[in-house]
Amino acid sequence: MSATFPTRSAAATAAALALLALTACAPAASDPAASGSGEPVEGGTLVYLEHQAHTTLYPPSAGFYPNGGIVNNVFDRLVWQDPESLELKPWIATDWEVNADATEYTFDLRDDVTFSDGTPLDAEVVAKNFDLFGLGDPERGLTVSEAINNYERSEVVDADTVTFHFTAPSPGFLQATSTNNSGLLSAATLDFTLEQFAPGNSAEVIGSGPFTITDEEIGSAVTLTARDDYDWAPPDRDHQGRAHLDAVQIRVTPEDSVRVGALLSGQADYIRYVEAQDEAQVDAAGFAVYAPQTGGVNNHLSLRPGSEILSDIRVRQALIAGIDRQQVVDTIYTDRYPLATSILSSSAQGYVDTSDALAYDPERAETLLEEAGWVEGAHGIREKDGKQLTLVVNESAPQPRSFEALTLISQQLKTIGVDLQILKADAGSAAEAVRDVEQVQVYHSMVARADLDVIKSQFFSQNRNALLNLDYDDGTIADAQLEELLQAVASEADPAQRIAESQEAQRYLADQAYVVPLFEEPQVYGAAPRVHGVTFESVARPSFYEIWLAD
Amino acid sequence: MRYLARRAGQAAIVLLAAFTGAFLLLQALPGDALMIKYENPELGLSPQQIAEVRERFGVDTPLPVQYVHTLLGFAAGDFGYSLQTGTPVRQLLAEALPHTLALGGIALVAAVLLAAAIAFGSSLPRLRWLRDLLRSVPPLVVSIPTFWLGIMLVQVVSFQLGWVSVIAPGPVEGLILPVITLAVPLSAPLAQILVRSIDDVAAQPFVAVVRARGATPAWILGRNVAKNAILPTLTMAGLLLGDLIGGAVLTETVFGRPGIGRITEQAVGQQDIPVLLAVVVLAAASFVVVNLVVDLLYPVLDPRLAARAREGVPA
Repeated sequence: MSATFPTRSAAATAAALALLALTACAPAASDPAASGSGEPVEGGTLVYLEHQAHTTLYPPSAGFYPNGGIVNNVFDRLVWQDPESLELKPWIATDWEVNADATEYTFDLRDDVTFSDGTPLDAEVVAKNFDLFGLGDPERGLTVSEAINNYERSEVVDADTVTFHFTAPSPGFLQATSTNNSGLLSAATLDFTLEQFAPGNSAEVIGSGPFTITDEEIGSAVTLTARDDYDWAPPDRDHQGRAHLDAVQIRVTPEDSVRVGALLSGQADYIRYVEAQDEAQVDAAGFAVYAPQTGGVNNHLSLRPGSEILSDIRVRQALIAGIDRQQVVDTIYTDRYPLATSILSSSAQGYVDTSDALAYDPERAETLLEEAGWVEGAHGIREKDGKQLTLVVNESAPQPRSFEALTLISQQLKTIGVDLQILKADAGSAAEAVRDVEQVQVYHSMVARADLDVIKSQFFSQNRNALLNLDYDDGTIADAQLEELLQAVASEADPAQRIAESQEAQRYLADQAYVVPLFEEPQVYGAAPRVHGVTFESVARPSFYEIWLAD
Repeated sequence: MRYLARRAGQAAIVLLAAFTGAFLLLQALPGDALMIKYENPELGLSPQQIAEVRERFGVDTPLPVQYVHTLLGFAAGDFGYSLQTGTPVRQLLAEALPHTLALGGIALVAAVLLAAAIAFGSSLPRLRWLRDLLRSVPPLVVSIPTFWLGIMLVQVVSFQLGWVSVIAPGPVEGLILPVITLAVPLSAPLAQILVRSIDDVAAQPFVAVVRARGATPAWILGRNVAKNAILPTLTMAGLLLGDLIGGAVLTETVFGRPGIGRITEQAVGQQDIPVLLAVVVLAAASFVVVNLVVDLLYPVLDPRLAARAREGVPA
């Protein structure tokens, strides 16, 4: 062990020197007039700081944002989703056909694409990818992709044509092929077990993207290197050919103040997760702050109707009327966190404004609670049949400033006589508690995906089940109508009708007072002035492909 | 030799006890890593899909079976896989350990040197004017939180003065600030012990005898006092290993350095039991080894103890 250490550090030093040399040469080789504006410059290494280490490179499990910086840049997808318009455009697939009831999808593929191990990206390997993502393989610990519903089988028509068959309508499939969860892997990589997709083996994971993983220090750094022969970017992207950068160094820097300090002092170029309270510092230094929207189910509280206290709609309505959401956004966050007006983000497909059901009205809240039989008790907390009006909400560690926001909400609710306790627990206790409707009645979460299916992902009993509509202990469904509405969104083949179904589901969630949408959640990044060409995919994961450095 | 064999046997028993205790405590925690990973709720898997994964990982097998299986694995050097990421635990430790050993080892040496400088500096008669100042340093330093010191050093020395890089530094450059962060709080208790024992030893009758024979104060300090005062400090240094490990967790997190501390911090957050178990056993093993080394050094430094060790009397 001690023998390998000097070797390793010597290699690391050599690699660092080589990268340094590349960085130093790059600007000299290009036109000096180009730097600073206009013409992109080729070369250089981008130092990108992550908040947490990546956990896996198996695409269906790679939704966690720290995975996204790698997955989105190393794996290509069949279809490209325009992050602005959310339209689906060609990428590896040049064209596609969907049958009338959305149970058969046929894709025509480019015939000039190779993986970084030299093997061709053809219909055969695409079929193998979706057989794994659509069916999973529990033996290898590999799960089914959340984004793919009702998958049956693939059919290789010819070298560049593949058809997928579904047991029931699967209208979300086309968009699913554009997401990080459907990153295309080489045939050899598709034989990996979960362990082989883990940190420590990352350089063995092969995609066809503009970057390949060339080096890794487990838990602390990953190096991506540009592929010189990359020539199959989505035709609609501004840039074509190889990436401008030579390499990207992703370094894990958990401490917030160190990430921001490193950016401002020039030691890093680009960082993810600038906390709301640090934004002003980055703005003031003249650095860029990017806050792309995650554009799916908003950051919200789910009011679980299966719990004893919240089974009464008047209590749920009272909670909504008793929470001053605007004050939460103004106090805890910044104007990069827009106030939510529905359970879906206003940039999401099918969004409908339900703010009429979300108005702050503490007097109405008190009236509703009186009507529901909750009367003034000791210490200002309402009581009914000798029981206090006490509810528990989970602190949601992945959400920005969850604890601070919940603390403020708890203070607001206290003024109408509701005692909201915040569950701040270790991951294990929290995971168990949120599955019990009488332990956590109010559930804080969000989910990002740029497809109409996202609302089903969050609330359907067989998916995230955020409302605990399915009771895991006795298998009962609290609200069958909600189940039907969500199922309809995911199984309706007609696009216009699907939008109508989504709107009905949003309306239903609002009318039943099941959710308190808080804000439209962005991912907040900071970048040095020399970083140009910053872009994101449809749910705010960074793309390094078009980035170039100006000095 | 018999002394050594007996100490090795004791060490093995300590390790088994640490393993068993950690195994039982970690099993008693609510929830488990698979639940955190597959059910909560990032993947949106159905209850049936989750059941399939649980079966594959064998988490629901009876506890005694898991215990024996894990223990045999450990004995054979197989620590299993991280439940959170799937990385082999042995690989995680093998990559992290050199970083932590380098950081911890250098920090410990630096702490001992710093403590010695403070203690001897404050005991040299010529520097009597410095004495009170130096002696007030340890109580002050011992109250500095490691975390705060690390952040301050990063912000001032790296970000404002730009003297060393924190992000992607060279191997030596990358150690400077973390070593200071770790060594300074560690040196304070060491300095206090050393100052105290220098005073104690200086008051011994044999020192008066040496002085009476005309030795200079510096000679007495270097030749007679230091050698005797170093024993309790060495014991303390062994005990401080716990602080060293705790400090490494914070230091590695602040500086974004790879290492055992970082692994531990991540594993605790995710309740990654195989990783935590291996870290506990590793920490116990290093405790046992360091204290064994300290015990074996005693006879070298003090001939009276060497005689007793030869006779097999516990030191």
